Amino acid sequence: MSRSRVVIALLSVVLAIVLQTTLFGSGRIQPLGVAPALVTLVVVLVAPYLETEYHLLLGFTAGILIDLVGSGTLGIWAMTMTGVAYASSRLRARFVQGPLLIGAVVFVLTILSQTMFVLLSTLFGQNTIAEPELLSKILLPAVWNLLLSFPMIWVFKILYKPRERRFAV
Amino acid sequence: MIPSSGRRFDRATILFLALVAVGFIVATFDVRSDQDSVANVLREGTQSIFTPLQKGVDWVTSPVVGFVDGVSNLAGLRDENERLRSQLRASEAQLRETDALEEKVTQLELINGLTVSDDLTTVTARLYSTGVTAFDNVRYIDKGSNDGVVAGQAVVDEDGLVGRVELVSANDARIRLITDPIVSVGVRVQTTNETGIVSGRGDGPLRLEMFRALQPVYENALVVTDGSRFPPGIVVGTVMTTEKAEVGFVLRTDVEPAALLSQVDFVKVILGWSPVDAVVENNENLVRNTTTTTSPPEGGDG
Repeated sequence: MSRSRVVIALLSVVLAIVLQTTLFGSGRIQPLGVAPALVTLVVVLVAPYLETEYHLLLGFTAGILIDLVGSGTLGIWAMTMTGVAYASSRLRARFVQGPLLIGAVVFVLTILSQTMFVLLSTLFGQNTIAEPELLSKILLPAVWNLLLSFPMIWVFKILYKPRERRFAV
Repeated sequence: MIPSSGRRFDRATILFLALVAVGFIVATFDVRSDQDSVANVLREGTQSIFTPLQKGVDWVTSPVVGFVDGVSNLAGLRDENERLRSQLRASEAQLRETDALEEKVTQLELINGLTVSDDLTTVTARLYSTGVTAFDNVRYIDKGSNDGVVAGQAVVDEDGLVGRVELVSANDARIRLITDPIVSVGVRVQTTNETGIVSGRGDGPLRLEMFRALQPVYENALVVTDGSRFPPGIVVGTVMTTEKAEVGFVLRTDVEPAALLSQVDFVKVILGWSPVDAVVENNENLVRNTTTTTSPPEGGDG
């Protein structure tokens, strides 16, 4: 396992968090009032380039960072993103079928991650399930992620090109 | 069922379950820990790493945000102008009424010997970052302990209360918005002077609860802080629905936050005031009023 692959994935997660909290932060670029879930997008799209164990650790780290920068209970996004990493690493063998299928996986996993977060944070007493416009907060990031997934697939292809070696199961 | 790559699959699944378990333990620990917990130290540490990156990206991307804002607002600009013009006319009329009321208040204060503390110092700060997801109710400001900011202070903008300072480092601080479900603010309905508690619901309107209300609250009534935690008189919002008071029942209604929380760019942190000041101030007023009541009237029976 090349160390540079993990470093690229980790830097992508950090960049996604920085962009999410600045460029796509509240009051900035948020089409229809909700921003894309960039970290989820990155965690799904790096699946073909990392071994499952590293991918799971990346998902967990990304989730912990979201928790630390955000306002919720620590650990909830960590659990959620680990789930996203696990599901996407299981599905990565199908990623070779083309960008449309990757887009569909991104769309479904974003919805699942947002839903999982709502359920878990409600379980931990945050009453997130009672938030106004909950449906749009779950669905819209998935739509934006679907649209962003096509250019991002290309970006990751370029980033990982010299290190091309797939770890499909 | 074990797939062909059995061993690897098992290892991955075990690691997945272990990480979820770690996440669960961390969450339980965070829920049960207090304000000065290890989690908050970690939050401060993480934020200090992210702050330079966020400030840099914010600086680079702010023209892009401005451009996108401009393009998206172009269509509605004419309507917005018209709406603002009519709003301005209404505000001017309201201002004239307020001037008259202010004069009356000054006279009443003089008569009753009351003083309003005008010595609250503030520091202006710029928001440079927000939470990561749509469910986060935090903002980061570019002023910290070096500027006198401490945890618990009220954060306001020109419209009203925005939130309270939660975590502070040397040059920046994290504020929790009033819309966060864990934030509660002691308030007073200005028309009836009755007190209650306003709490966040994640987004949108706030929930006002009044436990011993005797009078109804009417739509558009102004809700201000009562001085229990934040300085008194800061506008929190306006009542959205008229609600009657019933003896033995909690009066519940919605309050529209005065501050447009999704569009806040600059805020003021109110320094030099703490709930302790409120207690001292209230006690002083109490003593002053008691003295006034018990002292014999001039020219009385002697």
